[in-house]
Amino acid sequence: MTDAKKQQGRLSEAEAIERAKQGDAAAFESLYNLHKRRVYSLCLRMTANTAAAEDLTQEAFLQLFRKIGTFRGESAFSTWLHRMAVNVVLMQLRKKGLAVVPLEENIETEDESPRKEPGGDDPRLAGSIDRMQLQRSIDSLPPGYRMIFLLHDVEGYEHNEIAEMVGCSIGNSKSQLHKARMKLREILKTSRAEKATKP
Amino acid sequence: MTCEEFERVLPELGDEHSMEQEEHLRTCSACSDLVSDLNAISKQGRLLQAAEEPSPWVWNSIEIALRQEGLIREQPGNGRIHPPKVSSKSRWMVPTAAVALILFGVVLHQRTGIPHPEAKQESPAGVVTADLQTEGMPSDDMQLLNAVAARTPSMRAAYEQNLRAVNAYIRDAEQSAHNDPNDEVAQQYLRNAYEQKAMVYEMALDRSLQ
Repeated sequence: MTDAKKQQGRLSEAEAIERAKQGDAAAFESLYNLHKRRVYSLCLRMTANTAAAEDLTQEAFLQLFRKIGTFRGESAFSTWLHRMAVNVVLMQLRKKGLAVVPLEENIETEDESPRKEPGGDDPRLAGSIDRMQLQRSIDSLPPGYRMIFLLHDVEGYEHNEIAEMVGCSIGNSKSQLHKARMKLREILKTSRAEKATKP
Repeated sequence: MTCEEFERVLPELGDEHSMEQEEHLRTCSACSDLVSDLNAISKQGRLLQAAEEPSPWVWNSIEIALRQEGLIREQPGNGRIHPPKVSSKSRWMVPTAAVALILFGVVLHQRTGIPHPEAKQESPAGVVTADLQTEGMPSDDMQLLNAVAARTPSMRAAYEQNLRAVNAYIRDAEQSAHNDPNDEVAQQYLRNAYEQKAMVYEMALDRSLQ
């Protein structure tokens, strides 16, 4: 996207926000259409369930629109929205009793930390990562790791934005991302090894 | 630099490495492979970016809620295309359905004996409201959906889904109110359900006409 188009996009969003504050239905819909895919995608990847993802998407947007009068532009609108989406998803996971990796620096036990397998030549993953396989591997990550990986590597947020969204430190965000990637590497290599041994 | 030292700083590593780190990567194939794998995972992750879209009913439900909460206010001269004049055959449905549904709800609320949800009843405007457990849609809903389909076929499925959802809501609300006629919350729940249905009617005709 060129800079001019990005600039135009920003103006349109800013205009839509101001009109939405006045109760303009078209403005609300415009904001929804601008951001629905990313919010829905995040919810879907966290829940792996279409109906649940749609409910969470609806809830995230409703919370946003109820509070739109308080938006002052201190952070990017999309960051604000995704923070709400993240909160909505985390609350849902907690309601279901799913353990969410605490987003503070935690000390992992031997069993939890992704191991680096010693010895043995292991071909690189580069060039051989199947998209579907990666998606399945992401689905099997613990929710906390999954959230950080989705926000950074899939959605492209920076660590300072992620830290603001999920309420952790930048260092913690980097650490969780690294652990998520290490875990994914372990899952992908195991899966590849299993495929290789199958007749 | 040892592998352990390298792995300790790995979470902080960006695109640029120090000379010491570069040297280690040059000489250590295990760490070099590790970095290569992690970069490949990150790169592939970016390709998974949002491709899916939520179904249209999500926006419909959001809009209904925003209107109910008064967050959407009609703008004077907002440039929206006003619907063309239509035959009274369709237009009568909006105010009649809205009034009938709400009146029926009020009457239900005031009565001491709420009819069993399975009993068939018709309000004076001919709107079947209690017979919602039979298969398929009530006849007025079908009429509305046919009106939508005639003008905007692509919207029919979304509105059918909305009507089924709101009918299920009405069924639940009627059941709750039936179970405890003195429960004010259940009665309010039932009024809200009727209002939602009236709103779906209003939106369906308003949009399909545009």
